[in-house]
Amino acid sequence: MIHSRFLASVALSALMLGATPAISLAETPPDTLIQAWSIDDIISLDPAEIFEFTASEIAGNSYETLIGYDPQNVSDIFGKAAESWTVSEDGMTLSFKMKEGRTFASGNPITAEDAVFSLVRAVKLDKSPAFIIGQLGITPDNADAMIVQTGPMSFDFKMDKPYAPTLVLYCLTATVASVVDKKLAMEHEANGDFGYDWLKTNYAGSGPFMIKDWRPNEAVILERNPNYSGDATPMARVIYRHIPETSTQRLLLEKGDIDIARNLTAEDISALQGNADVKIESGVKGSLYYLGLNQKNEFLSKPEVRQAMKYLVDYDTIAGTIMAGKVKVHQGFLPEGFLGAYNENPFSLDVAKAKELLAAAGVPEGFKVTMDTRNTPEITAMAQAMQQTMAQAGIELELIPGDGKQTLTKYRARNHDIYIGRWGPDFQDPHTNASTFAYNPNNADDATSKPLAWRNAWDIPELSAATDAAMVEPDAAKRAEMYIADQKTVMETGPFVIYAQEIEVMGERKNIEGVIVGPSFNDNSFAHVTK
Amino acid sequence: MTMTRDWLLSDRPVSRRQARLGQIYRTWLDFRTNGLAMFGFLIVLALVLVAIFAPWLAPHDPLLGDLNHTRLLPPLSEGYLLGTDDQGRDILSRLIHGSRITLAVVALVAVIATPVGLLVGTTAGYFGGWVDTVLMRLTDIVLAFPKLILALAFVAALGPGIENAIIAISITAWPPYARLARAETLTIRNSDFIAATKLQGASAARIIWKHIVPLCLSSVIVRVTLDMAGIILTAAGLGFLGLGAQPPQPEWGAMIAGGRNFLVDYWWVATMPGLAIFTVSLGFNLLGDGLRDVLDPKRQK
Repeated sequence: MIHSRFLASVALSALMLGATPAISLAETPPDTLIQAWSIDDIISLDPAEIFEFTASEIAGNSYETLIGYDPQNVSDIFGKAAESWTVSEDGMTLSFKMKEGRTFASGNPITAEDAVFSLVRAVKLDKSPAFIIGQLGITPDNADAMIVQTGPMSFDFKMDKPYAPTLVLYCLTATVASVVDKKLAMEHEANGDFGYDWLKTNYAGSGPFMIKDWRPNEAVILERNPNYSGDATPMARVIYRHIPETSTQRLLLEKGDIDIARNLTAEDISALQGNADVKIESGVKGSLYYLGLNQKNEFLSKPEVRQAMKYLVDYDTIAGTIMAGKVKVHQGFLPEGFLGAYNENPFSLDVAKAKELLAAAGVPEGFKVTMDTRNTPEITAMAQAMQQTMAQAGIELELIPGDGKQTLTKYRARNHDIYIGRWGPDFQDPHTNASTFAYNPNNADDATSKPLAWRNAWDIPELSAATDAAMVEPDAAKRAEMYIADQKTVMETGPFVIYAQEIEVMGERKNIEGVIVGPSFNDNSFAHVTK
Repeated sequence: MTMTRDWLLSDRPVSRRQARLGQIYRTWLDFRTNGLAMFGFLIVLALVLVAIFAPWLAPHDPLLGDLNHTRLLPPLSEGYLLGTDDQGRDILSRLIHGSRITLAVVALVAVIATPVGLLVGTTAGYFGGWVDTVLMRLTDIVLAFPKLILALAFVAALGPGIENAIIAISITAWPPYARLARAETLTIRNSDFIAATKLQGASAARIIWKHIVPLCLSSVIVRVTLDMAGIILTAAGLGFLGLGAQPPQPEWGAMIAGGRNFLVDYWWVATMPGLAIFTVSLGFNLLGDGLRDVLDPKRQK
């Protein structure tokens, strides 16, 4: 039996091989969108656990969060699964009303019960993104008392402090606040895990697409959700193929074997510019590239040295050559597009000024320092460019390459001198970055909270207090001003050389229309794509 | 000139020195007739000269590039014969300076690994018995690992860097020399002249060092020269994997790794160092081949 089946498949593949030249090679099926992307970062498809770029995007296309915002204008917040909400007088309770008459892909109705279940579940499972809801004073112990259903289509969301309403709402736009089909998930519950084991590789949502299949390091397949409450998607299927080599992605795109290539390098982009079959779509992302200067280092802890380092990066050249088209110069810790983002870039390469500052710091001859560098081509190239400019002021920068896990482990343990990194905001509220770049409540080695300021051993009690205050400021304009002040302080004195903001670039076949490249990965939408 | 030649080729040398120099000169004459070997010799000679005079030969700074103006220029651009890389650095200058690293690796590995291999092999061969068993099983164990993988493991443990790469390669390079030296020693140890030396009261160390090692040397030298190409490739492999020389050092393997991302549009960034590795490896192989021909005692007329 097995033997004959094998023979049959050999015969079939031989036949297909013979037939391929006859059918046109360079065409993807008209109802299927095929993308090439490096999807090796996916570890789970459970919205309560998803915290990776790729999985966020998949969740964004297949689940619905309570609240959404317009990707073109982040400040425009509206209800997605929720119809409306009111804030109580003391500012500590938000009452939500759910939209009527909508169903999950499974056919089950979406009710307040599902919304409460999803949020409580995320907090109780306590996976990486649980802090997004947890920071509002909701713990696994009190979650049942803080998030309560008040009617079939309404529920209350209580907090421990009157946090800024925009902060709370932005938290509820994150992937972790996706509404999960309670009935379906609980059918697969085992040992009180809220269906976590099952949902890791399965789907229980209500978005425009359903997750049909995930084969690690091979492909993810999304299919049109027939029960979606919005307009049915023009594409019946979206397929992500795992193709790690960027040059392979480019060749496939040029040949028309895929519709969208997701990991193009600056060189690929400039080479594709002249190709009539391909167009380049890009959108500003929230991720920032920065250097973290460890304050445990005797040289880097001098304020003048920190300042000098900021004059020794050739911002414009890096953004214009190595990373052309993929980043823009940005120096504040809030990415452009955020509430309170400070978009001035006061620093530029100025070796003379840096030398003056180094002389003032008492190290006119420069010094030797190491930088842990992730061995990806782009990070390595940027690190080498900085090595060259810093050498001009006598700073000998020794690069220590390692894979992402190695360098990050060292960084998290504060054993680095300088770390060249990338930071992506977790949700669209300014607090997400302020709470890491300008917040360090306890600088001790055994601190429980370890934001970026802690990782670089930057002791800032006053700035931490300012960040706490901004978190609960109800007036948006005032809040924005507080964050701008925070950013200026970090620019002047901080141990971060923030030098660029990411631009996501997609190479698309020219017949593809309607891709939305949003500011964060769960905003990238393919629901309206036509071809 | 002819006087020197006659003196060298004299069949009645009057001093040991004259005999030895004469022998070397005859070997050289023999070697010179082998065209391919001479070609290899010239490549290696050129490598050595380039390495010595690198700062005077290189037209540009190998570490400093101009990102804004000289990035990824094609070969034969004005002032940049072999083009520039993604950091705007002159590839030719980097190759020239990189020859120093390559030569240093090859020379140091030869200096570290050859004596170790010789010592282990001759000792094992001369004493025999349990000394032989212990030493040769140890050699077998090291030989059982693939070279590059073992070197990788050592570098991972010692930390990346060119010094550690040299140590790692040396650790993996000595066993073949030990094997070779032991085999040679076994054929010599029972000779009459060894027995005579023994009777005169020479110590084991003296016999090994003065009488056995010199006789093993020629075959080991041939083997080392033939291995040079492998050593260069291993060093380049470590550099390619980011475990050898660290940026911005112009190590050839690391240069290929850096150029790999641009291969589709800017072929020269990876191709030029690749050609350099190819040429030098070929040179060492041809040289080793020629040396084997002239140094093999069985081949001599």
